[in-house]
Amino acid sequence: MAERLVRLIAVLIFIAGCATRTAEAPAFDMPSADPLRDSPAEWLWQSGVQAREKNDLPAASRYFERALNVVPDSSWLYRELAELRLRQGDASAAEGLARKALRYAPNDPSYQSVLWQLVATSRQRQGDEEGAERARREAEMLWSRR
Amino acid sequence: MPPMSKSNQKKSAPAKKAAAKKTSNRKSPKKPTSGKKGPAKKSTAKKPVTSRRWWSWAFVGKLSLVLVLLGGVGLIWLDALVRQRFDTHQWQLPARVYSRPVELYAGRELDKAHLLRMLDLMRYRKDPGAKSPGSFSVSGDSILMFTRGFADSDGGEKSRLLRVNMDARGVRRLTDGAGKNIEVARLEPVQIGSIHPGHEEDRVLVRGKDIPPQLEKMLLAVEDRSFYEHHGVSVRGLMRAMLANVRAGGLQQGGSTLTQQLVKNFWLSRERTLSRKLVELPMALLLELHYSKEKIIEAYLNEVYLGQDGARAIHGMGLGAQYYFGRPLGELDAHQYALLVGLLKGPSYYDPRRHPARSKQRRDTVLLAAFDQKIITQAELKKYQSKPLDVVPQGSAALYAFPAFIDLVRRQLSRDYPANILSSEGLHIHSTLDVPAQLAAEAALANFLKSREGVNGAVVITSPNQGDVLAVVGDKVPRSAGFNRALDAIRPIGSLAKPAVVLAALQQAKKYTLATRVEDGPVEVLMEDGQRWVPQNYDGESHGAMPILDALSASRNQAIARLGLDVGLRSIIKTFHALGVQSEIPPYPSIFLGSLNLSPFETAVMYQTIATGGYRTPLRAITDVLDKDGLPLARYPVSPQAVIDEDLMYLLQWSLRQVVVQGTGKYAYNVLPKDLVVAGKTGTSDGYRDAWFAGFSGSHLAVVWMGRDDNSSTGLSGSSGPLPVWTEIMRSIPQRPLNLTPPPTVKMVWMDADGERASASGCPGARQYPMLDVSLPEQATACGKVQGAPKGMMKWLKGWFD
Repeated sequence: MAERLVRLIAVLIFIAGCATRTAEAPAFDMPSADPLRDSPAEWLWQSGVQAREKNDLPAASRYFERALNVVPDSSWLYRELAELRLRQGDASAAEGLARKALRYAPNDPSYQSVLWQLVATSRQRQGDEEGAERARREAEMLWSRR
Repeated sequence: MPPMSKSNQKKSAPAKKAAAKKTSNRKSPKKPTSGKKGPAKKSTAKKPVTSRRWWSWAFVGKLSLVLVLLGGVGLIWLDALVRQRFDTHQWQLPARVYSRPVELYAGRELDKAHLLRMLDLMRYRKDPGAKSPGSFSVSGDSILMFTRGFADSDGGEKSRLLRVNMDARGVRRLTDGAGKNIEVARLEPVQIGSIHPGHEEDRVLVRGKDIPPQLEKMLLAVEDRSFYEHHGVSVRGLMRAMLANVRAGGLQQGGSTLTQQLVKNFWLSRERTLSRKLVELPMALLLELHYSKEKIIEAYLNEVYLGQDGARAIHGMGLGAQYYFGRPLGELDAHQYALLVGLLKGPSYYDPRRHPARSKQRRDTVLLAAFDQKIITQAELKKYQSKPLDVVPQGSAALYAFPAFIDLVRRQLSRDYPANILSSEGLHIHSTLDVPAQLAAEAALANFLKSREGVNGAVVITSPNQGDVLAVVGDKVPRSAGFNRALDAIRPIGSLAKPAVVLAALQQAKKYTLATRVEDGPVEVLMEDGQRWVPQNYDGESHGAMPILDALSASRNQAIARLGLDVGLRSIIKTFHALGVQSEIPPYPSIFLGSLNLSPFETAVMYQTIATGGYRTPLRAITDVLDKDGLPLARYPVSPQAVIDEDLMYLLQWSLRQVVVQGTGKYAYNVLPKDLVVAGKTGTSDGYRDAWFAGFSGSHLAVVWMGRDDNSSTGLSGSSGPLPVWTEIMRSIPQRPLNLTPPPTVKMVWMDADGERASASGCPGARQYPMLDVSLPEQATACGKVQGAPKGMMKWLKGWFD
């Protein structure tokens, strides 16, 4: 049930994040290896997701950061924060956060592909076309290996 | 009449003085009031005098008309004044700074003693059953607490009952009052400061609905018993005052109601003149005409002056409660309300800290009046009169405890908010201060330096991933608000600079690896200004060729100097900047060994990038700013920026790990548990003037500096001074080990002693190093079965990497 919700939300975010691109919207779950799973921080993350659905982005950001204090190596949380910063218009921070999400990402090509896509979007928004293209190639390469 | 009936009329001289002083800034716009009124009255009064008994009934009639007209205009004018001022009144509310709230959840590592220390700092009362906010009880490993709640960007926390079951590691279970599991809860943050530049009023606003009924009743019993009956002016009170004045032959008593007192405090000067009295009366009536009794009481209780704390004028009952009792107003007992009410008669004359006996006598008189008015019973009167004053010592509150950190908050705030907003808008500032970490840092530094006359120090602790500043210590004496060494002692960083040299070298991945040998031998550089730079090692010896790794972990000056010269000054300066150093860096090779001057804070910024594995995360002391009603105004989110490739940073982290495993930082593991992975670097400047240690775990970065203010020798090296303090800090804060899982582009490779060729485990002189795929050696030694294999692997990897 919770997983389904997660999947649905994830897909929605992805669609929202890549609205400018016609890329297919891959469904992805929180990786099973992510330390956020079954931790007390999961509640904080869910509260953050709820705040985001109500478009209360500052509250969502506070919740995700609190969760990150509990599980500092959660790729999933860094990804959430990256998405959020992108929505808030801080593409540079979004890129850094997406890169950190990649640093802690488990070995899951489709999930990593999504993160590279996020890096690509962040770079594009900063006007770094070349960097965006590199990230996009990385994303496509991983996508083909999934 | 009991003696306190005079209280409102006979404000003591010292109180008047102080009050007049503090309101001087507000009086200026009111000057026209008396100015306009004064001459108008004089001219009408003088005319009959100059016309000398020449009067007729017609003249009296005209004069009366003029007076009525003038009075009417004056009344309209006063009415506008009253309404305009009262409607738009902005309480002067300085921004208040709060610590990071303590998060509670099952599995949270937390020392029971730390938690109890926090509750003590927050002035929670021991109360079996924890029946009201701000109280707690302990039984065995279970702590029951009634939290106070607070506002935050995410909605904050409600005040509620929490039961925390603890074990040796920390929180085992968290439940509510009914025994239901709670996922996560926070204790309210501790107020650690308020921002009020210069001579300012400070207050904690109390809304009408939050005024404790007992306090209000006591106030009326003492200051104005007929408050709810009169319309702003009490004729009986006036008559009594006039009688007293006639007896005394001058203006002694005012016969003021609470409303009149408020008018006085709000609009008028403090002089007891007849003209003031003439304006005060209609204004009080007008105030009562337009506003409810509740509104007037609320304004009165927030306006009153209750004492002076240095430059800070204590205004309002809300702050009075904090200032004298360390608690919110709603949590006080009857004897404490009585003390606050008693203070109104003369805050400095009845100051409970300076004149406890006088203050107690006054308090007991108020209690007696409360009994007379049936606010408390006889038994309660006896009970409360026998209570001590219960005043907390001045300066004992957390409010004054962390001046160095507040200094940082103030500097960060002043970038985004003008001073007048900070001193008046009542902003709530949520800071990143971690009280247990701050206390641990203060204690560790103070203990180490207490016997070392003249040597001082500073500590900065951060959580690298979020860039949160958790603690700032600027003096070995806690609470000392003088020179903030953490931010303002700009000193040579010594060997803390060496990682930047090594990092710059590793960036030339085809040329340098950690195994590459460098010569630890005499160096001499002729500088442009004709001076010669001849770096020496600390032991005065040269150890010959050694791997870069050893040059760093043993902190060999000559080897690093030679490496730096080889790598090039420009790329090393670039690396310093990439790591986050913003100060200008002098283009001299002596910076390789730390002739670069940085504050401990800037050093933390630089090491932060190393601790995060290549992400520059601006250090923040503030996370959220809320307005006075608790509504979110601004967030300072985490915003890391990838500045250096993480595989390079991994190599550097791994090398700094060797510093504590086998190098100059070895002492750390005399104390720390072996499974706590940490890394760091010692630093000592020329002549032992500055001693440093900067190191990190997976969750904390701490920079410790020691030196003398006159810049003479401390006799301490990074290993002998800062390192033990750093270790003690890391030991006393729950830590997570540093995650040293290599990124996919880094391999562990056995290398031959020549630092050039691959080797294998068990081969003579072979050592293992982490290495970037692009740096994998082309050749291997003849030892072992793996000959040639690394080459094939390298080719394959290279193809994949490019």
